[in-house]
Amino acid sequence: MATLTRQDLNFGQVAADILCEFLEVAIHLILYVREIYPSGIFQKRKKYNVPVQMSCHPELNQYIQDTLHCVKPLIEKNEAEKVVVVIMDKKHHPVERFVFEISQPPLLSISSETLLSHVEQLLRAMILKISVCDAVLDNNPSGCTFTVLVHTREAATRNMEKVQVIKDFPWIVADEQEVHMEEAKLIPLKTMTSDILKMQLYVEERTQKT
Amino acid sequence: MLSSGCMLVYLIVQGWGPREISVTYKWLSLTLGVHVNIAKQMLYHYLQQKRNESSGTPLHATYLVSGKCVENGSTCHKVSVVREDKLDAVKAKMDMTISVHVYSVQRAELKDSSPLYNTDYDTVKENLKNCNKYSAIRCAAAVSLSSAELQRAQEMALVPPVEKEISKPGLNENTSATSKPSAKQPAGIMGMFASKNASKSQESSKEVKTEQKEDSSLVETSKSKTASKANPMSNFFGKSAQKKADEKPNKSIKEEMDGSSTALATASMKQSQTSPKSEIDIKEEQSKVSNALKVESKDTRNKTKRPEVVDCDDEKMESQQKKRRRIKKPQPDSSDDEVVPDSPPVPNVHTPSPKKQVTREPVSHQEESSEVKRRKRRRVLKSNTFVDEDGAFVTEKGYVSESYSESEEEPEPNSQAKDSSSLKQSFGKRKEEKKEKSQKKTSTANKPTKQPSIMGFFKKK
Repeated sequence: MATLTRQDLNFGQVAADILCEFLEVAIHLILYVREIYPSGIFQKRKKYNVPVQMSCHPELNQYIQDTLHCVKPLIEKNEAEKVVVVIMDKKHHPVERFVFEISQPPLLSISSETLLSHVEQLLRAMILKISVCDAVLDNNPSGCTFTVLVHTREAATRNMEKVQVIKDFPWIVADEQEVHMEEAKLIPLKTMTSDILKMQLYVEERTQKT
Repeated sequence: MLSSGCMLVYLIVQGWGPREISVTYKWLSLTLGVHVNIAKQMLYHYLQQKRNESSGTPLHATYLVSGKCVENGSTCHKVSVVREDKLDAVKAKMDMTISVHVYSVQRAELKDSSPLYNTDYDTVKENLKNCNKYSAIRCAAAVSLSSAELQRAQEMALVPPVEKEISKPGLNENTSATSKPSAKQPAGIMGMFASKNASKSQESSKEVKTEQKEDSSLVETSKSKTASKANPMSNFFGKSAQKKADEKPNKSIKEEMDGSSTALATASMKQSQTSPKSEIDIKEEQSKVSNALKVESKDTRNKTKRPEVVDCDDEKMESQQKKRRRIKKPQPDSSDDEVVPDSPPVPNVHTPSPKKQVTREPVSHQEESSEVKRRKRRRVLKSNTFVDEDGAFVTEKGYVSESYSESEEEPEPNSQAKDSSSLKQSFGKRKEEKKEKSQKKTSTANKPTKQPSIMGFFKKK
């Protein structure tokens, strides 16, 4: 029954690890469900004891891993406010934005016995919600691409530029065009609250997609 | 009763409830505390009602179809979960359709079967000990293990060194991991997967189609997958099957089929079918197995639980398998009114009762005993360099469970598996191993021509 505070670096790392693992699975699942890539590159794997679709393509996987590798330090320090998976059409105008709002509770005590299984249950529910989300979303036009944006609090990105976490994988400030979407509809998907992290997932969808 | 059930389904499907927007009959039955058949009727009535109204959101449904069909000359009983649009096609393929009922209702058109499993997961976990309470299958001989027996079983489970620990089993679809890419757009790496799996399917002498419910319908590659998966299973149980069936693939299949009730059920049924032992012996085995495993539900298969039956060795199984390969899936949720296929009634009595995980134990156990006889396996860190399809040198490193015996396993598919496994570290070591193993299994079937003789790396001692 350890009592850890958020100041405890280990705890921050644990939460960040869990979250980054989840984000990786979630991004793969979004790519599968929204048909950004052909379903042939995906194969079923297991996470949180349920089947999820993960891509086999090495470059895609590497890209996603590098992305999250860079995001992880921000999450550890609780500087990341939102992680957004933006789906853009051929003209690089966003059609959908999957927004993961994350925050960590400031001070808490965790009892490690049930915590992780509880968190796993919540993450499982989020995955289920993502996998059936196409009931509430319109179809995307063909030829869409995706990108990942991170909204940080304050000026965390200045630090990021100074210290490149991964060589040859630079992050740049996003264009206004990618960040803002016209005529957006908001569709909430799922919220989860747990001792180590709070997350909200919603989708902003452009009213007219084609 | 029906109307209240329909109301609940309505709320859920509209997304108002705490649950996700997909309702399976099993979830409904456990949540409302009703018999599964009533839950099925509720879903059916709800569907009728909503569709007659012809308003609002379109609903999608999946159905469970079971019936007899002839595959490769042998009659088998096939159970599958199909999407509504494929329902008629699947029914037409069967010689005799024995049962059709609604499996789930949801708003979204499902691309794959994972949400169905996910929907049930938590509810079944909560009702672990009695998730069969409302089911239609009963067996008086199936009782929980006492704690002493449990201890013994656990001790026995620790014996085989190569046994991998599975902390949380589940009826998960990860079995399809290896061959899903095979049937789709092969290119580069995918091409590698495809050729392996295709040849493996061809070579499978006994095509035991696992009744992987979800996969068989919703995933097109299920055929190749199930065939390839079934192959090691059938090899495992049949003496006359190819001797070069690896232990590895068996084990990987075993793990992959963790929660795969159907495959395991098939295995167990096969065991009962093909054993030359007297029926009584079989019954004993089966009842012991079912005794040993009654407690386990499909979700909490505790890998360390093992039946005390040591007799189920495959040396006793001569593979006559004249009888049909595909047995009636002992699903706890099969309807009562299903016609029992003409399998021997005695083994049938026992095998349906155990939970889906049941047959995993004889499988794993058999594996282990045959392992002792056949090969040794160990995990080694291998690094091998080879020329891949594009003529590039690729060096792969990874832990591979290697077989000592002179096996025809090609390192190349191993490497491929290792390659992807290294990329996917975060997804659990077990997945990697499974993939490797199934890759290794597929590799026994054919020899990639581009592989230089690199076997020197793999010959130990």
